[in-house]
Amino acid sequence: MSAITVIETARLRLRGPRPSDFEAHAAFSASERSVGVGGPYSRADAFHNFCAMIGHWPMRGYGRWIVADKATDAPLGVVGPMFPEGWPEPEIAWTVYEKAEGKGIAFEAAAAARAHAYGALGWKTAVSLTDPGNLRSQALAKRMGCVRDGVFVHPEAGDLWIWRHPAPETLQ
Amino acid sequence: MTPPVIETERLILRPNREADFEHYAAFYASERARLRGGLKTRPQAWIQFAAEIGHWALRGYGFWAVEEKATGAYCGQVGLWNPEGWAAPEIGWLVVEHAEGRGVAYEAALRARDYAYRILGWREAASCISEGNDRSIRLAERMGARFDRRFPREGMPDHLVYLHPALEALQ
Repeated sequence: MSAITVIETARLRLRGPRPSDFEAHAAFSASERSVGVGGPYSRADAFHNFCAMIGHWPMRGYGRWIVADKATDAPLGVVGPMFPEGWPEPEIAWTVYEKAEGKGIAFEAAAAARAHAYGALGWKTAVSLTDPGNLRSQALAKRMGCVRDGVFVHPEAGDLWIWRHPAPETLQ
Repeated sequence: MTPPVIETERLILRPNREADFEHYAAFYASERARLRGGLKTRPQAWIQFAAEIGHWALRGYGFWAVEEKATGAYCGQVGLWNPEGWAAPEIGWLVVEHAEGRGVAYEAALRARDYAYRILGWREAASCISEGNDRSIRLAERMGARFDRRFPREGMPDHLVYLHPALEALQ
């Protein structure tokens, strides 16, 4: 596996997932907070999802990072570009663990992830998908300048709203 | 971590590549998958394939792609598997149709077991086989494994847990 790019923002370090991050991810996955991303998940399912997130990297050459506190390295969430098989198009995805909520952390990480997708990865466009009931995620999409652009019917999760990000040239 | 490349007389056990996925997805679309985790759509198979790769990072071991030295053909997945909620640290195998009946899984699984015992220091190894998968049970028995217990799973056939002989018993 080629090395996972590390990105730093003012407060955050976006780095590759590590085994020590799993407990935080499992706690999030077991909580009601994960309903907006298909949860709650059993510990076994959380492990499966966490493994698949890591395996996405060598399959696609990019993937989701652990959003870590720059000072303490504590895992705060999972953000990054992803494009699993069956997805309508490549996505910028975000998930923030409870203790990181309400501080603009998802916005800071997602903006860095989008800049990486448009820059290093050369994406010409990007979307984010949200559960229709996930109002907090939709608020972040709007804050990032996204507009609604249809619905993706996921075979298991059902309807997911597609949010289209501003094109790279309009962000410069 | 990147999986190490290891060899047997006829086979190379190597890290998975993107191209292996086509064979893997075809397996999970076929009836052969029914007793090997269940049929999967292509997106479901992709997630499972990615999870097998990611398992290496979390556990330090996992599944290898099995490739035939003579032809370069992909034969399936063999390796060491122990996700959360699993019955026991396992020596597992998945054989694609064209590779069956030539002892490929046996040869690769012996090598994987040797790796588990000698490199990783496993004290015990199991193989978890869906009830009714007689071909897999024969392979476990050929490796000297013996039925130990049932392990129920939600929405799927029970796993039959076969315990392998300890390293000392193999020497």
